[in-house]
Amino acid sequence: MILESIIEAFKLLISFDSEIYSIIFLSLTISILATLTASVIGTFLGILISISDFKLKRFTKKVVFTLMGIPPVVLGLIVLLLITGPFDGMNLLFTKSAMYIAQTLLVLPIIIGNIIITSEKTQKKVLETATTLGASKIDKIFLLIIETKPFIFMSIILGFSRALSEVGAVMLVGGNIKGDTRVMTTYIALNNSMGEYSMSIAMGFILLSIAFLLHTLLARFRGDFYD
Amino acid sequence: MIEIRNLKVKMKSLEFIFEDFRFEKNKVTVISGRNGAGKTTLLRVFASFLDYEGSLKINANVTYNSQEPVIFNRTAYCNIAYPLKVRKLDISLYHDKIIEYAKLLDIEHLLENNALKLSSGEKMKVSIIRSIIFNPDIVLLDEPTTHLDLESINELTQLIKKLKNKITFIIVSHNKSFVDDLKDVEYKVGGKNVLS
Repeated sequence: MILESIIEAFKLLISFDSEIYSIIFLSLTISILATLTASVIGTFLGILISISDFKLKRFTKKVVFTLMGIPPVVLGLIVLLLITGPFDGMNLLFTKSAMYIAQTLLVLPIIIGNIIITSEKTQKKVLETATTLGASKIDKIFLLIIETKPFIFMSIILGFSRALSEVGAVMLVGGNIKGDTRVMTTYIALNNSMGEYSMSIAMGFILLSIAFLLHTLLARFRGDFYD
Repeated sequence: MIEIRNLKVKMKSLEFIFEDFRFEKNKVTVISGRNGAGKTTLLRVFASFLDYEGSLKINANVTYNSQEPVIFNRTAYCNIAYPLKVRKLDISLYHDKIIEYAKLLDIEHLLENNALKLSSGEKMKVSIIRSIIFNPDIVLLDEPTTHLDLESINELTQLIKKLKNKITFIIVSHNKSFVDDLKDVEYKVGGKNVLS
């Protein structure tokens, strides 16, 4: 079965079926854009939370850590309620924009949470030293970004993996519309429900190959950072 | 410069009690006491890293140099220039001074190397120069000789002697000859209570 699926995956890739390539392209595009957005906001917020002292800091951290494990389908439901409720006028339901929003919100706490953990545990002395040398809050944010670069990079890759592999949220808000909002994971889910297991496994194999490639690159970059 | 009165610091199940004292300007004050007596704790209070009870008056610019040098991922030169950069000072005006101190501590040839790749002793020297380069009023040195060889300790002694008229040094060190060579004043710590 696995061997058949691998052969099927190669057949899918070399078939130059425009639908397959558009599905892969859409998956990667939305996941990359969502991860980039979440990375910019998440890195800044994560470091800001870790270096700031405010009344609800512990509570805020608990909320972030809880959201790191939010089931995508629950998040998808929240986004669905928002885009069909208060933001109904923006016509976001079953659009790529809705998928992008859902994935960004899914990745954001993963990046913020990982950066808080890294910054607080490993960078306490860096912050103290920077403080004693006269650094302002903005200086400290930039210093921490530079000093925690490998960990930030790792958080971003984790976030990207989460975005690329999630199915629940994009299914709910994107609708899995053929030729429009269908991505690799929803393609797998659909074929699975129709009993087309070999197609599902084939696309799953492609998804895993992308993830493998990504983590190989990560290992290489991490090696460079720590060298 | 620094005046303490009825100073107490709680650390988990311990309470450190410090005798009233006034740390004078342009003197090298050595804080002495046994292991766990609260020497580092007192320095960290001065650096505003720890909360305390009682009165602490500091009317000066204080910099703390920790036992384990904290080095940033950049060249030794950029590490040393970091406080100048964040204080918006013109680094070029301090270039000669950086070279002079680096020569004194024998790390001039390492200034363009990534400081993270230096030895512990070299990192300590970078960290010490970084603490003094911007002429702070008070420099707190916590076990500065830990990673230094004998020759380097002598070089550091010379540097502190050279600067002591401009900068007030408060030093914690178990290295007797280093301390004896430098100290103008000694402040003993050791009072502590075990909290239930």
